[in-house]
This record gives sequence, C-alpha cells and structure tokens, in this order.
Amino acid sequence: MAGEETALTVSTAFIMLAIVCTWVVAQLLVLGGVSQDRAQALLYDDFRQQLAGATAPTGPVVPAGDPVAVVTAEGIGLEQVVVEGTASGDTLAGPGHLRNTVLPGQAGTSVLMGRSSTYGGPFGDLDELGAGDTITVVGAQGTLDFTVLGVRRAGDPQPQPLAPGAARLTLVTSEGEGRLAALQPRDVLYVDADAAKGFPAPAGRPAAVPDSEKALAYDTGAFPLLALALALLLALTLAIVAARQRWSAALVWVIASPIAIALSWATTDVVMRLLPNVI
Amino acid sequence: MSRLRRRSVRPVVATALAVLVSVLVAGLVAWVPAEANGPAPAAAPGGAAYSKTKALTRVLTNADGTTYSFPTNNVTVTADQTRNLRGRQRILIEWKGAQPSGGRASNPYGENGLQQEYPVVVMQCRGVDDPSLPKAKQLRPETCWTASVAQRSQITRSESEASWVHDLNAAAADKERVSGMTPLPTAAECPTADIAPFYTRLTPFVSAKGKVHPACDADHMPPEAAVGSAFPPNEIAAFTDTSGNGSVQFEVRSDIENESLGCNDKVDCSVVVIPINGLSCDKPSTPASNADKACRKGGRFEPGSSNFSNEGVDQAVSPALWWSASNWKNRFSIPVTFGLPPGVCDVLDPRSPTGFYGSELLAQAALQWAPAYCLNKKRFKFQHNRTSDEAGFRLMESGRAPAAVVSSAHERRSEDPVGYAPTAVTGFSVGYVVDRPDNAGEFTSLRLNARLLAKLMTQSYLGSDLGRGHPGIGDNPLAIMSDPEFVRLNKGLSQNVQEVGATLLSLSESSDVVEQVTDYIAHDKAAMSFVNGKPDPWGMRVNPAYKRIKLPTSSWPLLDSYIPETENTCRQKNPAVYFTQLAAPVTTLRKIAEALLDAWPNVQTRCEYDVATDSYKLGRVDRQSYGSRFMLGIVSLGDAERFGLRSAALETKSGRYVTPTEGSIAAAVSLTDQKGKLDPFVLDQADVRRSARAYPGAMVVYTAARLRGMDEDDAKKVAQFIRVSTSEGQRQGTGNGELPEGYLPIRAKGVTAKLYDAAQRVADAVEKQTPAREPSAEPTAGASTGGGGGTVEPPAAPGAGAPSAAVPSAAPTATGPAEPVATDPTTAMSSPMAGRLMPFLLVLALLGGLVGSGIRFFVRPPRRQP
Repeated sequence: MAGEETALTVSTAFIMLAIVCTWVVAQLLVLGGVSQDRAQALLYDDFRQQLAGATAPTGPVVPAGDPVAVVTAEGIGLEQVVVEGTASGDTLAGPGHLRNTVLPGQAGTSVLMGRSSTYGGPFGDLDELGAGDTITVVGAQGTLDFTVLGVRRAGDPQPQPLAPGAARLTLVTSEGEGRLAALQPRDVLYVDADAAKGFPAPAGRPAAVPDSEKALAYDTGAFPLLALALALLLALTLAIVAARQRWSAALVWVIASPIAIALSWATTDVVMRLLPNVI
Repeated sequence: MSRLRRRSVRPVVATALAVLVSVLVAGLVAWVPAEANGPAPAAAPGGAAYSKTKALTRVLTNADGTTYSFPTNNVTVTADQTRNLRGRQRILIEWKGAQPSGGRASNPYGENGLQQEYPVVVMQCRGVDDPSLPKAKQLRPETCWTASVAQRSQITRSESEASWVHDLNAAAADKERVSGMTPLPTAAECPTADIAPFYTRLTPFVSAKGKVHPACDADHMPPEAAVGSAFPPNEIAAFTDTSGNGSVQFEVRSDIENESLGCNDKVDCSVVVIPINGLSCDKPSTPASNADKACRKGGRFEPGSSNFSNEGVDQAVSPALWWSASNWKNRFSIPVTFGLPPGVCDVLDPRSPTGFYGSELLAQAALQWAPAYCLNKKRFKFQHNRTSDEAGFRLMESGRAPAAVVSSAHERRSEDPVGYAPTAVTGFSVGYVVDRPDNAGEFTSLRLNARLLAKLMTQSYLGSDLGRGHPGIGDNPLAIMSDPEFVRLNKGLSQNVQEVGATLLSLSESSDVVEQVTDYIAHDKAAMSFVNGKPDPWGMRVNPAYKRIKLPTSSWPLLDSYIPETENTCRQKNPAVYFTQLAAPVTTLRKIAEALLDAWPNVQTRCEYDVATDSYKLGRVDRQSYGSRFMLGIVSLGDAERFGLRSAALETKSGRYVTPTEGSIAAAVSLTDQKGKLDPFVLDQADVRRSARAYPGAMVVYTAARLRGMDEDDAKKVAQFIRVSTSEGQRQGTGNGELPEGYLPIRAKGVTAKLYDAAQRVADAVEKQTPAREPSAEPTAGASTGGGGGTVEPPAAPGAGAPSAAVPSAAPTATGPAEPVATDPTTAMSSPMAGRLMPFLLVLALLGGLVGSGIRFFVRPPRRQP
C-alpha cells in the first residue's frame, strides 16, 4: 500500500508539473495575448483622449507605463500603443520606449523595444519589413512617417550618423532560428527607420537607464512580488483543503476555480517580469 | 633579503650578502632624505637654508664718557626654508645664544606679545638687506609688517617711557621729542602725535604701492591691520629659554593674504629676526633724567618667568622698540622668495585648461606642477580641480574630464577599461595643535590609536554638560583630554575639557581619505569591538547612533539626533543636534589645515544674541587662546608640511606608534599589492598592523584615465602628464614642476620602482587607446552607454567624421548622406535562456504529462493484481 501511495504521489507531482508548465506556455502564447489586447485597447482609449485634450506627454520624463505614442506599420499589420519604459513588466502591455532616448517622432534616435512571440508578439513580424516601407508614429506633437532603412542583425553595419534635426526610430525585438523559430527567440533584431525632420525634443532626459531596461534584460525586482503571489496560491490551496472538509467537492471547485485561475494568471504575469523583455 | 640570507649557507657568502645588504640599506637611506616628524628642520630640498651668527653687545655710556659693555651674546639664527614660499606657509626659525627671555606672555603674537622682556622679534618685511639695491627694494623698519599701532609707534609717552631718545646708535634726528617721519603728519591728521611735553616716535608703514600710513592711531594703519581682519597677526615676539635657545614656526604672507605688505614672486621680502638685547644708551645728563634711567633698565622679570597678567615691562628690553637703531642693528634678515601665485596659469596662459578632477591629496603638488605645464608651450595647460574622488572618477568615465585623480580603485560603471597611473605618494595625517599646560610650549609627540579615532568619529565624547543627557552614553568622558586612554598615551597634558576635544575635524563629503581612516579603524580589534558596542576598559560606550556602523566607508555620516534640553534661551530658540555642531565637518582638507593653523575649531556652538535682528544665532566658536590650544583634524601630508602642522603618531602594532616620515611611507608602499598590470596598488591595513614601521595613512594618488574611446588629443595630454609627473615631477624641491614636501618621490629604482613601472605602462596604454571596439556591448545603445545628454545616436562612431562632413546638404533626406561613413558592425546580443525557455517548458510539460499518466496506467495496475 505504501508503494501505491508513493506512486500516486509521484504521478500527481508529475501531472502538476505538466499543468504548471502548460499553463505558463499557454499564458505566454495565448492568454498573454488576450491580456495584451485588452491592455492595448485601454491604452489606446487613454492615449486618444490625451491627444484630443493635448495632454499627451512630450517628455523628457514620463511616468513608466504611460502611453507615449501609437506606432503603425501597414506592411506587417502592426498597430500598437507604445508605453514608456522597457522593463519586462512594461513590455507586457505593448512595445516600450527606452527612457533615455527621445520620444518617437522627436529629433534624435528613439528606441522602442517590443516582444516578438509572447504576450501577443507585437513585434513578431518585424523581420518582414523591408527598406522603403513606412512606419507611422502618432505622438503628442503630431504624426510622422519614417522610412525603413532595413533590418539589422548582429554583424551588420550600423546606420549612418543622423543628420541634425532628423529623427530615427530603432525598433528592437528578438528572433529565433531554425524550425520552431517563433518558439525560441534568442538574438536581438533591429529595424532602423529615418525621417528627415523630427519634432523638437525637450532637454533633460535621464542619462542612463537601469540595467533591467536594456534589451534582453530582466527585472529582478519582481522577486518580492513573486513570493507574495506564491504565498497567496499556497493560502488558496490550504483554504481549499479546509473547505473540502465542510462542503462538497463540486461546490468547492465552483468557488475556488476562478480564484485559482486569477491567482495563477497574476503569478505568471509576475514570472514574466523575470524573463527577458523582448521575447 | 631575509630569504636570500636564509639560503646562504657558507659564511663567506653570508658576509658578502651582509655587505650587499648594508650597501643597499645605505643607498636607501641616502635617497630617502631623513625627514623628521612634522616641522622638524628637514634640510629642505631645493630651499636654501639660512644660517648666520652675529655678536650682539649692549653698551651703556657712563657719565664720564667711558663705556660699559654687557657680555656679548653670540646669536646664531637658522631657517629651514627660504625659497619659493607660498602664502601662509610656515618656516621654522631657530636660534641659539640669545639673551634668555623673561615675563613670557601666553600669546606671543601681535600686540599680545609686547609685554615681554628680551624676546626675539620675528617679522616679515618687504625688501632685502642689500646696499647695492635701490632704496625702494631695501629693507627698512617702514616696510616691516605689524598688525597694531602699539607695535610700531610710541605715542605721547612720558619722559620715563621715552628711552629711545637716548639710544646710543640713533641719529640726532631720531632723538627729538617727536620723530620718525619727515615731514611730521599735521595735527589734523594725527592729533595725538605732537602734544608737548610728551614724546612720540612714529614708525610709519609704507605699502607696496608706496602709500605711507603714519601709524599714529588705528585709523592710520594699512587695511590688513584692521581689528578682526581675516588673518591673525603673524609677527611674533618669541621666547628664548634659559639656555639661550628658541624656535618658532613663522607664517609668511604673500600679497594674496596681505596686499599692503605685497610680497610675491617679483617682490623680494625678508623675514627679519631681531633678538632684543636691550638698548645701548648715550651719555646721560647730570643728574640722570628719567629717560636716561629708563634706557639703562635691564628687566624686572627673571629669565624663564611668565607674565600672564600682562604687567608692564621695562621698555628698554621690550619688543616694542624693535625699530630703534640699537635693536635694528642687531637684526638677522633672512631673504625669502615667493613662488608663483596659484592663479599664474590663468594669467599667463590664454589656452583653455585641461582639468583633472579629484583628490585633494595632490593639491600641494599640483600647485607647483601647474606652472611647469602652462608656461611650457610644448605642454598642455594642466589644471587640478578638487572634487570628491568618486565625482572625479565619474566625470572621467563619462568623458567630461580626460582624467581623474583618485587614490583607490573605483567601481566602473561604463564598459571602457580604466588605467591607474601612480602619480604621487603621500597620505593623510591626524594633524594637531596642542599646548602643554603652564605655558610650556607646544606638545610635539601626540600619539593616537584606532580606538581613540573611533571614539572621536562616532561622536562618543559628550563635549560638555550639554551632552550628559544623551541616552546611553551619559557617563562617557566629556572630551578626549579627559579620556583615561588618551591620558595614558599622552602624559603631561592638561585635562581641562574643551568642546573641541570631543571631535576630530573631518570631511563632510565622500573621499578616499575617509575610506582609509575608517579602514584603519576597521582593522583594529579593540576599535571595532568598541564600535560594535563593547565598552572600553574604562567603561566608555559607543554612541548608539553609530553602534555597528559599517566600516570602512568613504563618507562619514552624521547620525546623531540628540537635541539637548537646556534652560539656555539661545539654545531653546535654535534647537540643534549638539554633536553635529561639535563635529561640523568641512568640505576640503585645506580648510581643516587652515583651521589648525589658526587654532580655530570649526565647532559651531557659539550662541549669541544679535541686537540688530533681535534674534539668537549660532556660529563658530572663537579662536583658541595660546597656551590652551587643543585641536585635532585630518589633513593631507602635503598641507601638513606646507603649513608646518604637526602630525600625530598612529598605532600600528600594539604599542608601536608611527609618524608620517618618508621612511614610514616607503615602508607602507612596499606593502602594497597590485592585482592587474594597470590596476591601483592596494594597501592592506592588516599588513600595516603587522609591520612595525609602515605608516597607516600612506596613500598613493593615481591619475586614472580611460584606455578606450578617449579623444586622441586628451589621451596624449594624459600620457604626457603621467610621464612628466613621474620623472621631472618627482624631483624634490620648491620650484616649478618640483615635488613639495609631504610627498615621497616615485623613482625608477628602490621601493617605488613598481609604482614607476606601473605609471609608464598606463601612460603607454592611455596613449595607445585600445582602438575600434568602441560600442562594446550594446548596439542600440549608444543609447544606454553613451549617456551624455545630447541626442542619442547609437551608430555615430566617434571619430567617424563630424555630421557636417557626412551631411553636406542643408536638406538631409531619408535617403541618407551623400558620402556614407564607415560605421561599426552591430554587436551580437543574445540570450540563450530566452531561446530555450519555451521548448524547455513544452518538453517539461510533455514529460510531466507522460510520466504522470504513465505511472497511473502502468505502475498501479500490476500492484492491484496480486
């Protein structure tokens, strides 16, 4: 009997492992997309209102997570609201703007980082952009069309120095190789696009950003939150065990499932902050 | 060497080695000039020492025309430094064979020193004693500086106080009732000068610009002599002991401190030493007049006695008549020259300066080095700007300064490698000015250990009764002078508590000096157990605010928050943290050195009522009075030598106290280790504690510069600076480009050879500038590494051509510039973790699912069957 119980425990453990892993993958590829879609819808409304009310930010310092621009590339069906900040947590909602660069559309180089495969993968098709394609940016100061210079990978020459007054947009994401390329984003990919004349940029940007906001970086600041989320999950488990002794299984599951799913979702969102920001 | 000796077996070899060793040691001693602790008369390298002997005889003429001569005093005066002096520098003047002084004043400076007998007057005068020079360049009593009228002029004296009119050596005109100026000032100008029958003698002051100040009252003195002027008097009526010897550290003033006196690199000056030997008197009238009698007086104080109550003295032997012909004839005039003023480069060199930012430890060397750069057209215009080491390093890293001046390794924040070139070997010391009780002169052998420093820095002394209410430490000694541990180390000092004895004047900002001081404390077991809360053997406890403070630290925090409750209205109106007022750290080491020089503690507890604004205000306490001075402060060795400050001996091994000398600093340098070939040398305080000879405050000052990405011109300048400063700049001396005292010269041979080699390596590496791999890690991020604040252009490789060259057209288009410039390739960036994450999760999910269900299917059924 003891052996049987052990086998049961081992089996349950493996099943749980499978469930957890499947859940994470599902969140990365599917559920994350749903939440990103919703976040984009909210951000779009918010930003539209700000543009209409002329309250949209022009820099130099914008609170992280606020919408700063809408970037559109017809050729690859890209239309995203850009949020301020490029930490893993920021890019969950949409492409992030590197905080020590000018805002998109302003004179100078603006760097946007977006995810390629997870959470909707807004920048997943960047590699299909070609020289001459147009990227349109709508920001607080107006609309600006950028002409794509090309896709740039490791080893390619960097683009020419920028003329004074011109604007450049550098989109950053990741890409994989071989079969299942979409599932293994690994290397950084850049797309540069130039516009002849940018909007004036205010001075006073931060000189540097934390390491967690650079390409392929992750945010170790999420650990305390993760601990909290896991503790809540544990508490829920204990609560379910306790509830099972008083109520029927069906009733308990009806009540507990939504909570479990919501908690798992939130936990996975926290876990995402511990993963690189452009995958 | 001991290793070699152990190997040698045969006596012959041993003897040979012993000879070799002794030769080496002799060589070492030869090139490390013996430099005694603090202000001792080191034969100043490059500075011509002065020594002269004169026979001084006092002669009285009898009524019958014969003369009576007192025994002759053969006085020898020496000075340790006379050339290239800087403002406020102190030079040591010693004499022997002088008439023993009597009626010693507690404060010998300025007019406080007048009531003494047979002192030695030391003063600074414009001009030199050289008859071949035009009169304007000659030394006269009129060009000698005094800070008060009473020291220059005798105004409306009665006959019994007019001994100078019977001076044997005086000209007839000087024996008049009113004398000293031709023409005499008008009654409107000097109403008190000519009032019959009183006697007046004026010694006017002639300023550098030629203006004559009649010195008949305080209004007719040069502006620098005003009451409460910026600098205390420097002229001194010094004391000769009963065996005829004496010494004084005389502070010279340049035209920056004293414009009327006007000594600078172009105007030669002298330090005049007048041993007061008594007036010689002419033939008395019959019967002898009061003035005749006054002239013949020989003093009323015993040799060696004190005159604390400022009683009157016999005028004929007092310092007040230093200008009289008899005394003036006895003068020793020590010609001194001044170095170039600090601002000389800005005046003479129109080029824009290249600023090196960082440690103040280099300040005194940089003062002498800078003219050797800016006045040489082949070199650049070097400028040393004092900042905290950390700030200097950051400026250098971000490219806003070509090089930083630091004295330890700093954490790099950018990708570019940094080389550290040893530039000077110096350090810090705990400077002090402490008087022995009963007017016995200065204390010269202060000893401190790490626990005493810890007690001072952790604000564990109470300062005064105001501190008694401090929670947790109410039973601690009030100040270091009443701490039994200090008393045991430094015997014979007054235990009267002063507030300043509760503090060690230190730096408020981050500095490698503070880092080293705290590192010294951190390596002392007794000090650390005190800091961690264990009371010392006498029951003194650490201030709870600093208990378990993490050491070492580069900036010392002010953590105490105790505001005393008191009946004092002023304090009630200005509630302030008492211990912070005591500590009152300052921003520069130079300020600490000047506070010690003036014996003016930075304690901010003076609380007074201001009538004008009807309010109470806090401020800095008064200067300390001579005879009861007590002050400690952290100073740089360069400042300590320049200003003649004394440096405390610090404990290394238990019971061994080491002062900063060239030998002890060299011993510390020999203990340092270097990790990489371009890294700084690290002095482990644990090694210092094991060595009995090494000075714990020894520090190497480095020129730190980037080895990549630096502008070519800047790189050349930095390399030049490193090479020049480690060759020409290490010659000891006082001239331009030479190394002042307080620095151990870095030589290609001997104990500093490793520093020299490292400096040359770094100079080469800086000049070469590891090329090409400029944007090292992130391609997008010129953005994140470039910093700087300008428009962020990741691909704009420096040196790849100015944008104007790349974009000739005034209307740049997206098609790009006409002439493409070569840009760097995009660097690879990848994250294997990101790549493997999802496949790994999928495989794990699959595995978990398969194994989990597999166990259920295959393992359980067989178990059920039996």
